[in-house]
Amino acid sequence: MPRSRAPRRRRRFLLKCLLFAGLALAAAIAVIAVWVVHLDGVVTREFQGRHWSVPARVFAAPLELYVGAPVSAGDVEDELHRLHYHAGDPSTGPGIYLRHGDSFDVQARRVRFSDELREPTRLSIRASGGAITDLKYANGTELPVFRLDPPIVGSIFPVHGEDRLVLAPADVPPLLRTGIKLIEDRRFDEHHGVDVVGVLRALWADLRAGRVVQGGSTLTQQLVKNYFLSDEQTIGRKATEAIMALRLEAHYSKEEILVAYLNEVYLGQDGARAIHGFGLASEYYFAKPLAELDVDEMALLIGLVKGPSFYDPRKHPDRARARRNLVLQELADAHVIDPAAAKRAAANPLALKPPGGGYVPAYLDLVRRHLKRDYAEADLAAAGLAVYTSLDPRAQAAAELALTSNLKRLDAASRVRGSHLEGAVIVAEPNSGDVVAVVGGREVGADGFNRALDARRPIGSLVKPAVYLTAIETGRYNAATVIEDAPIELKLGDGSIWAPQNFEHQVYGRVPMARALAESMNLATVRLGLDLGLPQVVETLQRLGLETAPTLNPSLLLGTVEMTPLEVVEVYTSLANGGFRARMRAVHAVLDEQGRPLKSFKVQVEAAAPPSAVYQLDRMLTLVTTRGTGRDAPTRLPRGTVVAGKTGTSSDTRDSWFAGFTGSYVAVVWVGYDDNHVTGLTGAAGALPVWADTLAKLKSASFQPVAPELVEDRWIGYGDGLETTPGCSADAVLVSVPKDTVLPRKPDCIPSPPAPVSDKIKAWFKRIIH
Amino acid sequence: MVQTHHSLKTPVFALLVAVLLGGCASSARLEQSPGSPTGGSAAPNSSAPNGSAPNSPSPGSPTPVPPPPRQNSLSPATLSLVTQARSLLAHGEFDGASSTLDRALRIEPNNPLLWIELGRLRLAERDPHQAEGCARKALALASGDPSARKQSGRVLADALRAQGHNQEAREVESQPFMN
Repeated sequence: MPRSRAPRRRRRFLLKCLLFAGLALAAAIAVIAVWVVHLDGVVTREFQGRHWSVPARVFAAPLELYVGAPVSAGDVEDELHRLHYHAGDPSTGPGIYLRHGDSFDVQARRVRFSDELREPTRLSIRASGGAITDLKYANGTELPVFRLDPPIVGSIFPVHGEDRLVLAPADVPPLLRTGIKLIEDRRFDEHHGVDVVGVLRALWADLRAGRVVQGGSTLTQQLVKNYFLSDEQTIGRKATEAIMALRLEAHYSKEEILVAYLNEVYLGQDGARAIHGFGLASEYYFAKPLAELDVDEMALLIGLVKGPSFYDPRKHPDRARARRNLVLQELADAHVIDPAAAKRAAANPLALKPPGGGYVPAYLDLVRRHLKRDYAEADLAAAGLAVYTSLDPRAQAAAELALTSNLKRLDAASRVRGSHLEGAVIVAEPNSGDVVAVVGGREVGADGFNRALDARRPIGSLVKPAVYLTAIETGRYNAATVIEDAPIELKLGDGSIWAPQNFEHQVYGRVPMARALAESMNLATVRLGLDLGLPQVVETLQRLGLETAPTLNPSLLLGTVEMTPLEVVEVYTSLANGGFRARMRAVHAVLDEQGRPLKSFKVQVEAAAPPSAVYQLDRMLTLVTTRGTGRDAPTRLPRGTVVAGKTGTSSDTRDSWFAGFTGSYVAVVWVGYDDNHVTGLTGAAGALPVWADTLAKLKSASFQPVAPELVEDRWIGYGDGLETTPGCSADAVLVSVPKDTVLPRKPDCIPSPPAPVSDKIKAWFKRIIH
Repeated sequence: MVQTHHSLKTPVFALLVAVLLGGCASSARLEQSPGSPTGGSAAPNSSAPNGSAPNSPSPGSPTPVPPPPRQNSLSPATLSLVTQARSLLAHGEFDGASSTLDRALRIEPNNPLLWIELGRLRLAERDPHQAEGCARKALALASGDPSARKQSGRVLADALRAQGHNQEAREVESQPFMN
């Protein structure tokens, strides 16, 4: 018996093992089945409801053409280039123009504006002497006004940076359809998601080469990998990928999978922005729609799939060219294209769009914040919105160049070791509040700290116009009123003594208000502000646009109040706009993916200060730029251009500001160090040249507001404020004061007493007759 | 609500003044005729200043020359946009009308006639508060142009009344420029 016990035990053990193995197998099968069902669910659920994350596309303001528009022939051609119009025969299709001298024959593209879908239009444009002189349809009919396409300036993509333009099946050119299968997955039309033959062939090729030379992944697997899975390379993930690929093929047509692949595939990197899909890649590399690509261009894009950074045509043109020519060869070998055509195409240079240019992160940041009030971040990054803005690419480029070149110059001249000045510029149109340019720092093309929106700094003397406006509004003061620039000491709430000084520590004594503001006198301003009352001055600032409530400390009269450049531009827009506060506007309209209007933002103006008081103040601000601290502002503008503005310098020159306006633009510039270090630069030395260079590049009218009926111009002595005549006083300046104001007169200079209106008209006719 | 704009009068008037002024360089600046090549957004043509240039002393003119009465008008470009905006408004397309007037304002931001137009649109949109802002802006820009002031005043009074400020509306209507 003992002998029979052992085999039985062994048999029982074997049985147990078998049972266990069977159970284990069943469990494994169950787990795999559950897993497959789960993956199937993931595939169908996610792929069914797939919407490509299409970032909101942001458009700049279109260039308006009309007879008299200040647009030269060079400007027209620059804009056509910006819009990627090509020289050629415009009768052959949209996007093509022909230039003869100063005349253009253009076929404008079909284009969607925020308020109109315009069909292709043939027109002729003539420009001479820096302005449009003739504008007609091709058939000769007068065209009163025509806008070119709104230039695309970027997109609002999410943090992970995925940007794309989605193609519909009908948008996929046949060459791409055939070419991508030929290069990436020859048996795409036969396999069911996983290509066993292909895998074996790849394995064999790898074995013979002794390294990995072929991938063997199908397009479906690549799509699954990009769409559903992370980047890790494990056996488990490979298996998941294969199962998902099989399930995807079971549920969806080859066509759906191919088009999804073409939209998903990663094709390049532009800074933080990842270029996905052939639609965007075509724009990114060639600035053309996919349908307009030539054979060699298409071959380059197809070749890029294998390694967008390894074959990056901008960084590694030789590799990219070799890869492109290999693709062309394969296309010819497979009889997709004619061998002779392939040979010709292979001889072509890469012909890429010049890199970068026009990426305006600081402006896009403003757009994003503007839209965040109404849209979730996810919608902006993914819902395919079209956003129409007031960005003017010309103003933006001018502001960027002015800031970077001046900071470079100032750094070189600085006594600070390793000086790395920073700065910000905002330019707006004063009547509408349209923001036309935003520069957030000297790295103009990089995302980062946006100083134009976020650098909150003491504004220094930029605050003074609010003090003088408050004074004028009381009716007790005007530009000729003499005020006292004399030392003053104040006991503050904490018991300390505050004794402000003028910038160069001198004392000017009795000066007219116009001069005190023009030369930015601290003592005179503090005395005036204290007489008016701090709450009154703050109230004026708030009416003009200040949103915060600063502490009522006397030093606020000298600009200890902190503001961002965006807030300052809002306040100065109210001054440039004759006392009307305009809501700053970057976004005009938002359209959904189908072009339906979702939201529009209208011009909003509101009376903020009496127009006649603001007019008097603005005229004083023109003295700042002719006699005062801002004398250099107009020097870079066309001779005779009238400019109003104010310099600002915070304590110890930590912040250098200039805010000013012409008849066309209001602009604010800040220059300083991020760490708040002393710059040694006044507003006139640091910020002003940036302002002047920016405005010099823009076509700007003089600041010549319409005079209100309640005021009149009078000559006064700049030094003493006495009424005089230009013939009598060398320092006579023209100021605006309320009508019939009695001004003390300079002895021996006897201007005629204010004549009744009827006499004035008689005198006027007399003058014009002589 | 549709007003005729006297776009033909201004050039004729300007021409007359130009002939009279021949050779008198220090006089008040002239309005540019609509559509002149230097006009446009950089030099809003129908809203040129009516005072002399600030701070450019012109010897021999002790008192600044009083301005002649002005007559604002629309250039062909803005006129076509205003016409388009009115037609959109007539079809109830407020947003389209608004963005079309935006375009006109970008071309001639200082033309009171455009702000009057925008004020009327805001009234039609039942946004009297914004209509008031536009009308006040128009009124300020219309200084020296009796016809534009009167039109601005009407829009302002309507905007005030629509907000229930009847007393203020009556005050506006009793202003001398409303007669």
